[in-house]
Amino acid sequence: MAENATAPLSGPGGAIPDIGIDSSTIISALLLLAIAYVAVRVAVFLLGWLSERAYEHRITVKMAIPIAKLAIYGFAIYHILGSVFQLSTTQLIAFSGLAGAAIGFGLKDLVAEVVGGVVIVLDKPYQVGDKVRIDDQYGEVTDIGLRATRLVTPDDNLVSVSNQRVLNQTLANANAGSQEMMVVIDLFIDSASDASRAMEILREATVTSRYVYISEKRPVTILLKDYPFYRRVRSKAYVYDLRDEFPFETDVTKRAWDSFEAEGIEPPKAGIVDLGGGPAAGGG
Amino acid sequence: MPPPFKEEMELIEKATKDFEEGKRRNIAVISDPFYGESELLEWVWERAGGGALRVKAGSLKEDFEILERSSAKIAIVEEAHRLYLRKIGGFDLMDRFINFVSSSERLFITTWNSFSWKYLDEVLGIGQHFPMKIELPGMDAGKIRDMLLSGYEEGELTFLEEEEDETEEPKILKRSSFKISLLGERIEIPRPEVDLSSIRSRFHKGEEKRPPMEIFFGKLARISDGNPGVAELLWKEALDYPEVRNSLIDLPSIDLDLDDSFALNVILSMGSVDLAALSEVLEPTGTSAERAAALLEERGLVFIDGEVVSLRAEALKRTAEHLRRARLVW
Repeated sequence: MAENATAPLSGPGGAIPDIGIDSSTIISALLLLAIAYVAVRVAVFLLGWLSERAYEHRITVKMAIPIAKLAIYGFAIYHILGSVFQLSTTQLIAFSGLAGAAIGFGLKDLVAEVVGGVVIVLDKPYQVGDKVRIDDQYGEVTDIGLRATRLVTPDDNLVSVSNQRVLNQTLANANAGSQEMMVVIDLFIDSASDASRAMEILREATVTSRYVYISEKRPVTILLKDYPFYRRVRSKAYVYDLRDEFPFETDVTKRAWDSFEAEGIEPPKAGIVDLGGGPAAGGG
Repeated sequence: MPPPFKEEMELIEKATKDFEEGKRRNIAVISDPFYGESELLEWVWERAGGGALRVKAGSLKEDFEILERSSAKIAIVEEAHRLYLRKIGGFDLMDRFINFVSSSERLFITTWNSFSWKYLDEVLGIGQHFPMKIELPGMDAGKIRDMLLSGYEEGELTFLEEEEDETEEPKILKRSSFKISLLGERIEIPRPEVDLSSIRSRFHKGEEKRPPMEIFFGKLARISDGNPGVAELLWKEALDYPEVRNSLIDLPSIDLDLDDSFALNVILSMGSVDLAALSEVLEPTGTSAERAAALLEERGLVFIDGEVVSLRAEALKRTAEHLRRARLVW
C-alpha cells in the first residue's frame, strides 16, 4: 500500500496523490471498526456490571465508561489512519481537506455531536450515574455516547439528548459525581398549626430515615417559610445513594404526616397552596 | 480475662483528678459491641467508692429522676445509647439526658456503642457534651494471645493443627449466571464467579509451617476484628481443655436487601434490642420486625431469646462490613 501511495495520478489540476485505498484496505478498516465496536460493548458491559457491585464506588467505576469508549474508538481511528491507510503527511492534509468539505456540507451536525461528546468526557459537566436535568428532562445518566447522552427518567423512560444540545443548554447536576445527593422535601401546613412542632417532627422523620446520610459536610437543614394562608416546612438532607431519592421522599413524607395527624398538625385548607409559579414555588 | 485497660484507666484517673480540682470533662467510653468495657467501669466504680452513682441507661427509661435524686458527684451511666430509638419521638429521653448532663455540675462517665455514637454525634452533636472521648481500640493477635493465655502456664494448652477436609477442595472459580432480555425473551447466560474466601484459604495454606498457636491467634484476631469480647467468646468455643481446636471459620459475606439491612443496623447499634422496640422502629416503614428478626436469625447473624434479638458475636465483623458497604453506618 505504501508503494501505491507514492505513485502520482495525473489530472487537470496537477498531481493528485494516490492514497492507495483498495478493497482489502476498506475491509481491514471496517473490520477494525467492528472490533472496536465489540470491544466497546464488552467494556461497557463489564464496567457497568462491576460498578453495580462496587456499592459506594459505583459512580467512580461508571466514570470510566465514556473514557474507555473514547480510548477504544480513538485508538481504532488512529490505527486505521496510521497502519491501514498508511497516510503520509501530504495525504493526511488532503484527507483533512476532504473531511473538512464533507463536514462543511453534510456532516456538520454529526461532527458537532461527536465533538460535544468528547468535550463532555473531558470537561465532565456530568458523568455516567449522575442525576441531571437537561432540556427539561430529569433522570440518571446511563450513557455518554459519541453522539448523544442517554438518561433514564424516574418513569423509566430512556431519553436521548444530543451532545451538541447538552452543551448549549443550562444543565443542572444534582450530585456532581458524588453518590450522595441532596433531596428537598416540602410539607405544607395550616397557619394555625404548631410550626415549631412540625419542624421538630420533620427533622426527626428525616434523620431516622433508612436512606439518609449525615456528615459534617452533609447536614440536615429544616426551614420554615410563611405564606399568607399556610406555612411551608422544608427538609434538606442527603441520601447515601441518589437512586433512593424518591423512596426517601416517600418515607419521610409518610412518617411525618402520620405524626402530624397524631399531633393535630393540619394541612392547609383546600385550594390555598399554589404549587405552580406562585409563592410556594419560591426557593429557600 | 478482661482486656487490660491501662491507658484508658490513666485517662479516667486524670479526668477525675481534674474534676476534683474544678475542671469538668465528661467522659464517653466508645466501643464496639461485646468489647467488655463494663470491666473498665467496674474499676472506676470501685475506685470511686461511695462517691459515685452507677446506673444502666435502660433503667432511666423507668426512673430518670434517680439521676436528679442522687447526691453523688460522679455519675456512671452504662450503655447510654439505650436512651434513644431511631424513630420519630425516639430522641426525647436522649435529649433530656443530654440537657441534664450539660446543666449538671457532676462528672459523667458514660459508655456507648460505637455505631450509635457516630450516628448520634451527627444527628444530635453529642460529642460536644463529652469532651473526653475514649475509643477502645482493636487488639492485634499478640495482645489477644497475651490476654487469653494470662491464666495458663506455658505449655499447659495444646493447640491442634487445622483439620483439612481433603475430599472437598474449595474451588476458586464457581459457575454462576445472569439473565438478560433479548428480543423480549429472558435468557440466562453462564458466567464464572470468583470465590474470594477460597483464594484466601489457599493463601493461608502457607501458614502450615507456622506453629499452630500462632496460626490460631492470627485467625482469631482476624475473625474477631481485634474485638477482645468476641475473641474471648470464640476462644471459649475452641477451648476443650487442655486442647484448643483450630476450627475457627470465616463467615461468608452478607447479602441482604435494604429493609433487612436496616433492621440489622438497628440491632447492631444497640447490641441487642426488644422485639417491641424493633417493631416501633420498623413498623412505620412497613417492615415486620418478627419477619426481619427471623430472617436474620436464619442467616446466623442474630439470635432471638424470648423477646430480645441480639447480634451474634461472631457475626459482628461481617455485619459491620456489610452495613458500611451499604452506607447504613457512616
